Amino acid sequence: MTDTATSGGAATGRPDASGRVTGLILVALPVAMVMTMIVWPIGLAILDTLWLPGPDGTGARFSVASYRFFFSDGYSLGNLWITIWTTAVSTAILMAIAIPLSIYLRFRTGRAAAVVQALAIFPLFVPSIILAYAFVRVLGPNGMVDIILANIGLPRIRSPYLTVWGPVIGFVWDNLPLTVVILLAGLSGVSTQAVEAARDVGAGRIATFRHIILPRIGPSILVAASFVVLGLFSAFTFPYLLGPAAPEMMGPFMQRTFGDVLDPVQARTQAVVTFLFCAAFGWFYVRSIAANRRRMAR
Amino acid sequence: MATLTLQSLGKSFGTTAAVTGVDLVVGDGELVCLLGPSGSGKSTVLRMVGGFEGPTAGRVLIDGQDVTHLPPERRPTSMMFQSHALWSHMTVAGNIGFGLRLRGLSRADVAQRVDAALDTVGLPGYGPRRTDQLSGGQAQRVALARSLVLEPKILLLDEPFASLDQHLRERLREEVRDLQKRLRITMVFVTHGQDEALALADRIVVMDRGRVQQADRPDRLYRAPATPFVAGFIGQMNLIAGEVAGGRFVQGAMVLAAPVADGPALLAVRPEALAVSFGTGAGRLHRVTDFGSHAVAEIDLPEGTRVKAHLPEAPDAAPGMPVTVTPRRHTLYRDDRVLWVSDTAPGAAPVAVDA
Ligand SMILES: Nc1ncnc2c1ncn2[C@@H]1O[C@H](COP(=O)(O)OP(=O)(O)OP(=O)(O)O)[C@@H](O)[C@H]1O
Ligand SMILES: [Mg+2]
Repeated sequence: MTDTATSGGAATGRPDASGRVTGLILVALPVAMVMTMIVWPIGLAILDTLWLPGPDGTGARFSVASYRFFFSDGYSLGNLWITIWTTAVSTAILMAIAIPLSIYLRFRTGRAAAVVQALAIFPLFVPSIILAYAFVRVLGPNGMVDIILANIGLPRIRSPYLTVWGPVIGFVWDNLPLTVVILLAGLSGVSTQAVEAARDVGAGRIATFRHIILPRIGPSILVAASFVVLGLFSAFTFPYLLGPAAPEMMGPFMQRTFGDVLDPVQARTQAVVTFLFCAAFGWFYVRSIAANRRRMAR
Repeated sequence: MATLTLQSLGKSFGTTAAVTGVDLVVGDGELVCLLGPSGSGKSTVLRMVGGFEGPTAGRVLIDGQDVTHLPPERRPTSMMFQSHALWSHMTVAGNIGFGLRLRGLSRADVAQRVDAALDTVGLPGYGPRRTDQLSGGQAQRVALARSLVLEPKILLLDEPFASLDQHLRERLREEVRDLQKRLRITMVFVTHGQDEALALADRIVVMDRGRVQQADRPDRLYRAPATPFVAGFIGQMNLIAGEVAGGRFVQGAMVLAAPVADGPALLAVRPEALAVSFGTGAGRLHRVTDFGSHAVAEIDLPEGTRVKAHLPEAPDAAPGMPVTVTPRRHTLYRDDRVLWVSDTAPGAAPVAVDA
């Protein structure tokens, strides 16, 4: 009895302290996870790429030779470039499809919208390897599109299969559902009346999007883009199954360097470079979110 | 400043008819209230005028010009929403000036007109504020300024003050009324509060189940309701179903002169037009409530209807006491139309025979 009263009094007397303890406990677990599962292995990997045996094969010492090789090797640089290109193009195409689509889904009701929504979300429940297989059957050589075109006497398509566009199409398809779901969550914060009020004072569709909708879903677009960019940088399935043999994206490149070329140091170097790109994007992301929070709280 | 004409306007959502056959002319500088119970189609009519809903029948004309198929941004109307619908990522000045900026006005012109609009709604100097730093009443004033600054021909308001407390609502209502008179702006105001409609409107359009029941001056609605619905909706009304036979309306013990064709009829009597005598009769006193200025007696008629009657003062009568009620002025309805009004036939004083 007295005990509870005292502790209750103490808690109300120093709400900061008890709140801080709870906060620390809540934070401790994810921090521990991040330290053991991410920071520690990354640290080890970075160390491994910088602490190399000497030219005579003995006596490990500090060296940037593996990075010097990566950044002077045309093939490695080509692979890095194709990864960046694929990521940028896929994200751009994805947003160009997902933003209008989610706005349509948000502001339309009825059967048509429900059907479109179901179709757009469906790939979320299909593993990417199945999507890749479906892609080959539809757009690949002698795929469905090819056969239909041939049957009606039209020239065959130049299949995107095994070109740089293969992974792009696969990524857009695979990431569309999650992107739409994230954007829809953001759009739920835009009230129908806010949009109608904009139309009412004379804003057409474009002006309404630019001045009313976009400022409100900016953070959601950023979140969705981050998921896509980070996912694409380390993607394996689509580039491996649908992409060209050379240049190849960083995922298959690392796997091949490690497993076929048997050069673990170069594979790790590639991994570290990939990680640094992602980290830079992550830094940009965190900064934008924080800036947005500040703007909202002002 | 403009006239608004609705011609047999209708709207169906799928199979449900929200609005049916609405004909209405709102004159230049007139303030018309759409009044009706929830779901009667008031908002739908207003949204069709504003362009947010496409009619499935009929036409909308503004100054004689057909705007039925124009989108909201191309109509000379402006709408005030129930939740102010301010854009929270813009300041107050940003909200009010948005429409002006879209029209390509210079920065200085926008600022000047925004300030003038803020003055009009009594919020000078509020321009740099964020919208979440406004009270509910201030937010609605900003929304009003946002509408007024564009000088719309017709201002549409959909229960704009419904979320405010009674006191503030009355004050804003007065301000809107004054502004409307000063700027001589044509206005359509949706409400489901009859006080609000009576206080504001030049003319009230009473709606029920998607149809206009009556469009008339407030006093006319009260004195001469065109349908039993209006009779029951505006003020208090006793409605008693009965039968007309041989020129008399009969219901239980009540018999009234009614020189009309035989058939069913609905008797409508205001509580203040119902005379009561205590001591004899087939009615039974249920309860008396003393309001100080007057008293209200609730009386159970033999056939089961409970009617209300206003008395100048509380009588010395106990519940259960026999009572006779006699309509001094009444109206009979049949098929939703007026059948007979006692006042209009001089000399035909109602005969009440209470057996
Ligand atoms: N978008 C819609 N889809 C389907 N039915 C609708 C839609 N909007 C309105 N309705 C229906 O139309 C009828 C009239 O609605 P409306 O909103 O005009 O009523 P109201 O008179 O404004 O009521 P309230 O006082 O509650 O605002 C209602 O039965 C409503 O259910
Ligand atoms: Mg409504």
